[in-house]
Amino acid sequence: MQAAVTKFTQNALADLRRQNFFSTAKKGENFELKADLNSEYKERRKDTVKRVIANMTIGKDVSSLFADVVKNMQTDDIELKKLVYLYLINYAKSQPELVILAVNTFVKDTDDPNPLIRALAIRTMGCLRVEEITNYLCEPLRKCLRDDNPYVRKTAAICVAKLYDLNPQLTVDNGFVATLQEMISDSNPVVVANAVAALSEINDSSTQKGLFNINNSILLKLLAALNESTEWGQICILTTLADYVPVDEKEAENIVERVIPRLQHANASVVLSAVKVFMVYMNQNYITSEKTINLIVKKMTPPLVTLVSDHSEIQYVALRNINLILQKRSDILSQEIRVFFCKYNDPPYVKLEKLEVMIQLCNDKNVDQVLSEFKEYCNEVDVDFVRRSVRAIGRCAIKLESAAERCVNVLLELISSHVNYVLQEAIVVMKDIFRKYPHSYEGVIVNLCKNLESLDEPEAKASLIWIIGEYAEKIDNANELLEFFLEGFKEESSMVQLQLITAIVKLFLKKPSQAQDSVQKILQTATQSCDNPDIRDRAYIYWRLLSTNPQAAKTVVLAEKPPIESHTKIVSDSLLDELIANIGTLASVYYKPASLFGGRTGDNKIFSTPAEDANADIEGVPGTTIGGVENLLDLDFDDSSAQKSSTPPSAAPKSGMNDLLDLLNDDVPPMGNTGLSQPSTPSNNVQNDLLSILGGGNNTMSSSNIMSPGLNSNNLMSPNSGLGGLGGLSMMSQPQQPQKTVMLPANEGKGMEISAVFVKRQNKFFMELTFSNKTAQPLSEIAIQFNKNTYGLIPLAPIGINVIPPNESRDFTLPLGTNGPVQQMNPPTLLQIAVKNNLGVYYFQHVLPTSLFETPSTTPSMPSFGMNMNNNNNNNNSNNGLDGLLI
Amino acid sequence: MGQIFSGLLNRLWGSKEVRILILGLDGAGKTTILYRLQIGEVVTTIPTIGFNVETVNYKNIKFQVWDLGGQTSIRPYWRCYYTNTDAIIYVVDSVDKDRIATSKEELIAMLDEEELKDAALLVFANKQDMEGAMSVMDVSNALGLSLLKNRTWTIFKCSAVTGEGLTEGMDWLVNTIEGKK
Repeated sequence: MQAAVTKFTQNALADLRRQNFFSTAKKGENFELKADLNSEYKERRKDTVKRVIANMTIGKDVSSLFADVVKNMQTDDIELKKLVYLYLINYAKSQPELVILAVNTFVKDTDDPNPLIRALAIRTMGCLRVEEITNYLCEPLRKCLRDDNPYVRKTAAICVAKLYDLNPQLTVDNGFVATLQEMISDSNPVVVANAVAALSEINDSSTQKGLFNINNSILLKLLAALNESTEWGQICILTTLADYVPVDEKEAENIVERVIPRLQHANASVVLSAVKVFMVYMNQNYITSEKTINLIVKKMTPPLVTLVSDHSEIQYVALRNINLILQKRSDILSQEIRVFFCKYNDPPYVKLEKLEVMIQLCNDKNVDQVLSEFKEYCNEVDVDFVRRSVRAIGRCAIKLESAAERCVNVLLELISSHVNYVLQEAIVVMKDIFRKYPHSYEGVIVNLCKNLESLDEPEAKASLIWIIGEYAEKIDNANELLEFFLEGFKEESSMVQLQLITAIVKLFLKKPSQAQDSVQKILQTATQSCDNPDIRDRAYIYWRLLSTNPQAAKTVVLAEKPPIESHTKIVSDSLLDELIANIGTLASVYYKPASLFGGRTGDNKIFSTPAEDANADIEGVPGTTIGGVENLLDLDFDDSSAQKSSTPPSAAPKSGMNDLLDLLNDDVPPMGNTGLSQPSTPSNNVQNDLLSILGGGNNTMSSSNIMSPGLNSNNLMSPNSGLGGLGGLSMMSQPQQPQKTVMLPANEGKGMEISAVFVKRQNKFFMELTFSNKTAQPLSEIAIQFNKNTYGLIPLAPIGINVIPPNESRDFTLPLGTNGPVQQMNPPTLLQIAVKNNLGVYYFQHVLPTSLFETPSTTPSMPSFGMNMNNNNNNNNSNNGLDGLLI
Repeated sequence: MGQIFSGLLNRLWGSKEVRILILGLDGAGKTTILYRLQIGEVVTTIPTIGFNVETVNYKNIKFQVWDLGGQTSIRPYWRCYYTNTDAIIYVVDSVDKDRIATSKEELIAMLDEEELKDAALLVFANKQDMEGAMSVMDVSNALGLSLLKNRTWTIFKCSAVTGEGLTEGMDWLVNTIEGKK
């Protein structure tokens, strides 16, 4: 079979060969071109080169004609020469070894009496970027750098930068960099500008710094050349000045004085470059004098305003940069807010940027004007723009407390307009306002709730549900409202589901009688019929919390939320500094570090913290849904939380973190008979600790530690484990995971060390003991007794440890009763303890934490919760849970 | 009438160029010969990396003379220039006895090319003004010229510096090319 197939294939191939399928009779267009390029007739050759270039521009591959095209390079016909050069630039990289054929012509052309040809030749040679000919490039380049004609010199200067990019060592060895430095003193400003451009590019890409140092005399030359350069030369010099560090303030002021006239230039890029110089100098405190700063601010305003009345595209670039400038210096342009009012025919991208500028600029004086503008925009047809406008109103309210009421009134008007998307957006915004000014505008809630049924967007629904939950005690029919949502619970998006769970739990905690049914129902539905682990886990946590310790649940769920701050920052501060240094470039338009755009690789100011990066990314897209991990990061950046779509419940999980520890800890003994541990020392710097841990960069690590199902209580107790550390983070009056303290040091116990802690779980007291044998012999016959004490504490069981081998430890949890003999102690929580072993009897005493004996105020009995909880939790993979929890 | 006729002739003759290649090892004096032919002067030259091409008018014939670099690195690319070649001027450094064998190899390899089978060959035994230069006969033998078949060829002793022998060579070329037409 195999052989047959092979034979068949061979026959077929032989057939093909016979019929000459492979040698085509037609030679193709390139063959004709090749023949014509070698024609005896000059005109024909020129026409052919034109045809070759035409083919090249439409993308046909004519690289095979390289040698033949190059033959036409040596000619007196400048048009033909340019065409051949064009071809060379395009194909030199694909035919590097053939480029050598062109070298002699280049060398001859750099000797041409016509300076245009000399410059053309050296420019083209620099553009070829072929390693093979760099050595041959040096001599002509040296000649051109010293050319009589400035046009040739300025072209050669750029060529040095190109050569440096290809072969730095060769460039330095040939002294070209030194020549460039000399060229800064050239008599021609264009040459100076190009030398500066080349040098700064070389300096940026070079690993060794200091190839381009500006001293006083160079600075003077730069400033002198600034006035006479072309616009691009000016941009280049201004960029260099922005990077320059003036020796003293006087010098800085001198530079500023010389740069100010550039603000009047017609080229927008020159203007922005001048602005960059000023911003950098003010930002770096090169300029501190109030007078100069005022002068600069005054001078900068009109040109920026002018830019905003230019073409839309330039407007956009200007607005993006103005936003950055405003974040740095909000005093600029404060009088000019009218300029940034949107015109009806502005393109959408300009309108959105103008909104940003208006928010940045709005203050107590102009807020009325701004608000009426925003209100106007809400009647536009562009839905996206309208939404942003509504949001802008909310941001004004958050930014200016004095104007908050006016903003709320405007929002109310919008809500009463019954335009669906305006209404929904307004509700989202109201939620932020409630976060910022809790208990201030509660009267509005009724109006919001009226529109319950018209909501269809998840974010709006979630926001309204959050508001209802938050103000459940003030809303009489809160349970009805929430039940309305509860009906379609399973069909809702996860954002709404999470909010609904939290809101109903809040309602239950505030009005237990009203929501008993709802809470049972929603927790059951969420744990049994939801596939989303975030929702399931949140429901479990609440459930567990409610069934074990409703008091704790109250502190967790209804905890005080940290205030949100106004969100006017577009980028993080470190990024802002970098972007300010890059005003007028792509970096400042995209708000991304310049290093992302390829070019300036040597820049070491690039920020590197991933947290900030994530933050910057998030903030670039306001109003998007944010996953849990990023929210973790947000804890570090309070300023941003105002804009987060999923802000409302964020406080609850924060306080819930620790409870989570306790709860999971409880789950480890499968019988579920261990109680909730009691706090021993309330910690008051919880917030900071939590933040520092989350900001520590290993937040995901610690999260997974928390959730690890394999934990046992010993690990939790150990002060060195990661969880022990987290255990110290108890919120306010939240139960803390207690740590054992050494009660009997080894030197007092004849080599037996006892550390212990008293805990209370489910209203039962336990003493968790660790016995360490530091002797060389086994310890046995261990027993414990308490002296009479205030609370009647008494051991309920003997110590269940028979023998402790040398240098080992044993743990034991001793159940305690409160029905022992009572005697008033001083202090009341003092407990005297006697321990015996085979070596002797030891006495020590311990002051118990008072919190141990505080009893929860109410204990609603919900036995079903506990049971379900245990059943479900055993097969619940809790590792996925934290994301949902922290939203 | 005569003017119109000469104009026509110019169009027919004048714009058509006779293509000549000057080849040889590096340092043989190709570029010097080219410029001696074109402007009649001795110019200082640097090694040719690539090629020179000049138009030389001699006896009413317009020669397009290509002078290719003779360095080892460039020799492989000579073949790019063979198309439409009417004649080859092969320049030999008569003083460089060590490399005459290399010169022969390059010559033989070049003449083997299909595209050059109709091209006339003019060999210049250059640098005759210098001491220790080989005679024409020695060079001819060393290159094995007498063994060439189906080739119109000749050899002249010459000196690009003094100009000796160049005219004779060009005259031979003109005669040969006109004879072909």
